[in-house]
Amino acid sequence: MSDLLRVEHLTKHFAVHQRFLGSRVGNYVSAVDDVSFNVREGETLGLVGESGCGKSTTGRCIIRLTEPTSGSIFFEDRNVGELQGKDLKAFRRQAQFIFQDPYASLNPRMTIGEIISEPLAIHGEGTRAERQSRAKELLDVVGLNPEHISRYPHEFSGGQRQRIGIARALALNPKLLICDEPVSALDVSIQAQVLNLLDRLQDEFGLTYVFIAHDLSVVQHISDRIAVMYLGKLVEVSDWKSLYMQPYHPYTQSLLSAVPLPDPDRQRNRERILLEGDPPSPIDPPTGCRFHTRCPIAQEICSNKEPELLQVASGHTAACHFAAPNPVPVGVKGTTAATAVAAVSG
Amino acid sequence: MAGELLKLDDLKMYFHTRDGVVKAVDGVSYTLNPGETLGVVGESGSGKSVTALTMMRLVPMPPGKIEGGEVLFKGESLLTMKEEQVRDIRGNRIAMIFQDPMTSLNPVYRIGHQIAEPLMVHKGMSKAQAHERAVELLEMVGIPNAADRAGDYPHQFSGGMRQRAMIAMALSCDPDVLIADEPTTALDVTIQAQILELMQALQKRTGTAIIMITHDLGVVADMANNILVMYAGRPVEFGTTDQVFYQPRHPYTWGLMDSLPTQNLTEKSALHPIKGQPPSLLHVPTGCSFHPRCPYAKDVCGTMDPPLVDLGGGHLSACLFSGDPGFERRVVEYAEVPE
Repeated sequence: MSDLLRVEHLTKHFAVHQRFLGSRVGNYVSAVDDVSFNVREGETLGLVGESGCGKSTTGRCIIRLTEPTSGSIFFEDRNVGELQGKDLKAFRRQAQFIFQDPYASLNPRMTIGEIISEPLAIHGEGTRAERQSRAKELLDVVGLNPEHISRYPHEFSGGQRQRIGIARALALNPKLLICDEPVSALDVSIQAQVLNLLDRLQDEFGLTYVFIAHDLSVVQHISDRIAVMYLGKLVEVSDWKSLYMQPYHPYTQSLLSAVPLPDPDRQRNRERILLEGDPPSPIDPPTGCRFHTRCPIAQEICSNKEPELLQVASGHTAACHFAAPNPVPVGVKGTTAATAVAAVSG
Repeated sequence: MAGELLKLDDLKMYFHTRDGVVKAVDGVSYTLNPGETLGVVGESGSGKSVTALTMMRLVPMPPGKIEGGEVLFKGESLLTMKEEQVRDIRGNRIAMIFQDPMTSLNPVYRIGHQIAEPLMVHKGMSKAQAHERAVELLEMVGIPNAADRAGDYPHQFSGGMRQRAMIAMALSCDPDVLIADEPTTALDVTIQAQILELMQALQKRTGTAIIMITHDLGVVADMANNILVMYAGRPVEFGTTDQVFYQPRHPYTWGLMDSLPTQNLTEKSALHPIKGQPPSLLHVPTGCSFHPRCPYAKDVCGTMDPPLVDLGGGHLSACLFSGDPGFERRVVEYAEVPE
């Protein structure tokens, strides 16, 4: 498989204005900092991390919804940042976006037929009647009734709206879909329906997905490879199986151990690593390894020297000075809430 | 019974709206014993939150109307009690924490003041005493530099810290029951783990009974003693955590579990979602409200209300066929579900 998408040294800083309505720029939030990865044709890359880690910004930069501060994005070996005019428009046909919030991402004043055929109209495809019949076809593809084409978004439930958003994204036969938390606003039973739909569409149309999510069990289900981000940095990239079986980065390991499992026995008996505190502010990220302030195995070097993303096993990279399979040994934990309580009451 | 702390009996809360009657809670019963944790699981609109709000008398009436049933707290009816008496219990004997810690804290008061308030109201403490206790409580829930941070406003706290402050506030009067309504849903997974651990540690120490309302089966898996599964305002299954997870008997519970991606490390297993979507509570299907989505449904399911039947060992299920020995969960494949 060849690379459909390559992201190289992507960096995005947002200016923080210090005065209300003012223009004086004080600091920068480094939302994404020197992130590189590739996505192969036909695969699903899961991009996970907690809120504020830069996963959505990365997704938006890929299709130039947000202009990167530096770094480049190559789509089919063409630099997306240099595309203009016709070429940019052509690129946008190839790469589409599915948004998290199925309520905010559909215009309430347009019928779903208009919503789905709008990309076709923008790109000047077909006549109005042809676009309409294409929209019907797309509704059928995503499992909605084509007869509902003149209904408005408010007549649909969350899961159905997400299907409408998917139909719109598919209208131009794209190669790449950036899915930004497409199921996190949905109920469990509906979430499973949409995940199955995405699976089927991938097979049917040979799509490539960048799947952004915070829910590790969802990401594991859908992804071939997974990239884990923390505070604007990639900390680990690997195929899904070795990431879950044998994480090399302490952050990945603690993230995995924090996922609540719907299985009482496993949940009661497993060793959990509780991280201390909250993620630091991206305005003033920690020096060295950005994770060192919460890392249960941090050493002195971690606060001085930034670890590089290095290969640790075949097809598996991690950015940690002490990268090893399951690096946090059993029994080593961050200060847990339990011990804090014990300390106060004892 | 002496042991029962809280008992709901066939509680019904309907909302009378312009479009018709919304049966938000339609016959919910359970008992909670001291020190126990009950997990209430269901999807949005299943009535899990309204049940809790109803028993706290926090549902505005009208449009809400209690159409029947009873809520007994230590043998006393919460529904017929005078408002002043309820106020004495609410926040004092029964406390609540909500999903969104930002909107449930008052943005214009300092955190310390907000935690001290119930102590002054319910325990008659002086301002100074209450403030001192508030700092202790903040320390207890793991806020560093509690004495300083008590002077902060909510916007100066992160999401996880706000939820800790909410927990401190809820536990300030040593309540008998803590109702936690999706307490970790708005939080990141590592912070969620911290908060769940904190709640368990505090429960061990204070012996507070917890009602944990959530849509995430994982959250209640190791916390709850008992689990109640709700669908369209009705209880569909109740049992111990092990009964519900390992021997579920209701097709909705089966569907819910099959919808979850498994943490299977050797291969990817397909998801088997429930077809269709939850009904509008304005038009709840007749008979079993789950029958239009149920792959096991027979004709009778559309006409007969399934009673909540005891299958032995306190395991209840509201399905006409749960008791049949041959009624087994099977993998149901859907073409994913055109509506």
